[in-house]
Amino acid sequence: MDRVKVFQITIYIVAAIIIARLFYWQFMANVTSSSNAFAKESKIPASRGEIYASDGFPLVTNQEAFLLYGQPNDLNSDSKTVAQKLAPFLISEKYSTSSANLGEEEQKQKDEEIKNKEESLTQKLSDKKLFWVQLARKIPVGTRAKIDDLSIKGLDFERDTKRFYPEASMAAQLLGFVGSDKFGDDTGYFGLEGYYDSKLRGQDGRLGEEKDPLGFPILVGKYRSIAPKEGNSLYLTIDRTIQYIVEKRLSEDVKKYGAKDGSVIISDPKTGNILAMATYPNYNPALFSEFTESDFKNPAVSDAYEPGSTFKVVTMSAALDLSLVDPNTRCDVCNGPRQIGDYQIETWNNKYHPNSTMTEVIQHSDNIGMTFVADKLGLDRFYDYINKFGFGSKTGIDLQGEIPGLVRTKDQWRPIDLATASFGQGIAVTPIQMVQAVQAIAGGGKLISPKIVDKIVENGKEIKVQPQSQKQVITQKTAALMTEMMVNAVAKGEAQAFAPKGYSIAGKTGTAQIPVAGHYDPTKTIASFVGFAPADNPRFVMLVRFTEPTSSVFGSETAAPTFFAIAKDIFNYLAVSPNAN
Amino acid sequence: MLPVSDFRVVKKEQNYNFIGRIRVRVLVVLTVLVVGLFFTQLVFANSLATDGQKLSKIQSEILSLQAQNMTLKVQIAEASSFQTLSKKATELGFVKPEKLIVLK
Repeated sequence: MDRVKVFQITIYIVAAIIIARLFYWQFMANVTSSSNAFAKESKIPASRGEIYASDGFPLVTNQEAFLLYGQPNDLNSDSKTVAQKLAPFLISEKYSTSSANLGEEEQKQKDEEIKNKEESLTQKLSDKKLFWVQLARKIPVGTRAKIDDLSIKGLDFERDTKRFYPEASMAAQLLGFVGSDKFGDDTGYFGLEGYYDSKLRGQDGRLGEEKDPLGFPILVGKYRSIAPKEGNSLYLTIDRTIQYIVEKRLSEDVKKYGAKDGSVIISDPKTGNILAMATYPNYNPALFSEFTESDFKNPAVSDAYEPGSTFKVVTMSAALDLSLVDPNTRCDVCNGPRQIGDYQIETWNNKYHPNSTMTEVIQHSDNIGMTFVADKLGLDRFYDYINKFGFGSKTGIDLQGEIPGLVRTKDQWRPIDLATASFGQGIAVTPIQMVQAVQAIAGGGKLISPKIVDKIVENGKEIKVQPQSQKQVITQKTAALMTEMMVNAVAKGEAQAFAPKGYSIAGKTGTAQIPVAGHYDPTKTIASFVGFAPADNPRFVMLVRFTEPTSSVFGSETAAPTFFAIAKDIFNYLAVSPNAN
Repeated sequence: MLPVSDFRVVKKEQNYNFIGRIRVRVLVVLTVLVVGLFFTQLVFANSLATDGQKLSKIQSEILSLQAQNMTLKVQIAEASSFQTLSKKATELGFVKPEKLIVLK
């Protein structure tokens, strides 16, 4: 054989080997790929921004989750059998505790849900025309492992993420939750998730590339990529320790006082920063689908109520600021019930204090004394101060669902409305408005709009969030006088027995009857207490509010003890010693 | 001595052989080049197929590490949450101090 032939044969053999190898890679190699085969453009999901407390601890973070899909034509058993095997893993996470811990009723509900899930899965997997069918979204890592153990052919997973709440239901109404919009994309609802949704969600990236039949990228193919823009993270003003103290106490006291619900707001009067905002009952944002829309609402910003006697501090501040009264001005109409038009005004306990000073009017929470102040103010000036203190308009707090409360237009006010509004009936405010107003008294007369987010972190760059507005609504002198009157109300008022000894606390109780079908029901009240401490150098402003407490209808016997118990814990936490003021 | 006409004929034949040899060489070079490029293409394509798989593996590893990172972060947060710490403190017999003494 001559050399040319040897050369030719060698070339043919080498060519055959290379072609065979290419054929192997192209059509035979059984290599799994995470990419979608044949896909020319794929979405690179942006991870949603996280939400941190002021100590840097994540209140909301992301965890790995999976989308489970089935390929009906590839199943290794019939769809009913597969559905029966899968269903127990794909029902609500609330049943994830072992059956032994479930009550009889819960076990029944669980069985019912498994049955329904089986039916729905069987229906989906029976449709052999479908190449791909989604079976479940956002399933946790542990559940995926259990499904993997079933070794069912024709099922697969796609990587995804879901929200994780390390502190479970802490600050649930404040945080909101993440659900899906009509396109199946993650969307924030309520609270911060709703308000800052566009910032938190980031921007999905796009990857356009040419791929081989197995879905592997071809190096010399056209390749264009738009990197995903991660969502911004939020650093809150919320102090996790104070939030924990508040939530623990609130949940205990709502049960203790037999109230329908309760809420507490704590803020820093110097900055308007919200340090804690809690509502009980709350909900678990990880299982939001198990709750109703009414559970998601944050009463602190979305609930208007008649503030009752806590509003007296606003009326009195207005009169002090205009020098119409001073703390020693005596009430000359306080000797008994007062008739205004067709209505008779009485005190809350039917006790009357003739000739009492303004300080005593606040101390006794005297409704008649407040009508005296309202007469001095007149409608125009009183209305002006109501607006100045921010009632009737939103505070601008960065939470979804804030309402402006309800202050009727001036032309709708009758003489009786002026009288009742002076002690907080016939006017509807939100808890956050009440906190903002008392913040102004605690902060030397400056009204600062409250805020929750301290800074937004975008690609490592920090953007500090400033309060929306700051304005002087009463003079420093008025604020100081009002503070003294509130300190006296705590020291000598109805709730003095509950106040921690050695601390100077300014506060005011409130018991507002709830209007029901055109009249006030004396058995249904909103009991509240608003105040700040230490009085001479306030570290916090706090509002405690209970809806329809049943053990006692009065704020002095429900909201006030809760206020003082929380205040005591905060003093210890902030290292405020009893004789420091 | 050769006649003039004979000389011319010899001259022509030599010319023809020279051009022919060049043409053959060009053809050989081109053939070698084409065959060479063909095999280079095959080798290169083969290498790309392998690299594509490697790239895919690296991408999978990145995703896997990111997922592990996420899981670890979640575990840390879960273990250090107040809910967990409070539960553990209770189990270990810690109680809230009844009376605090303030040192001046």
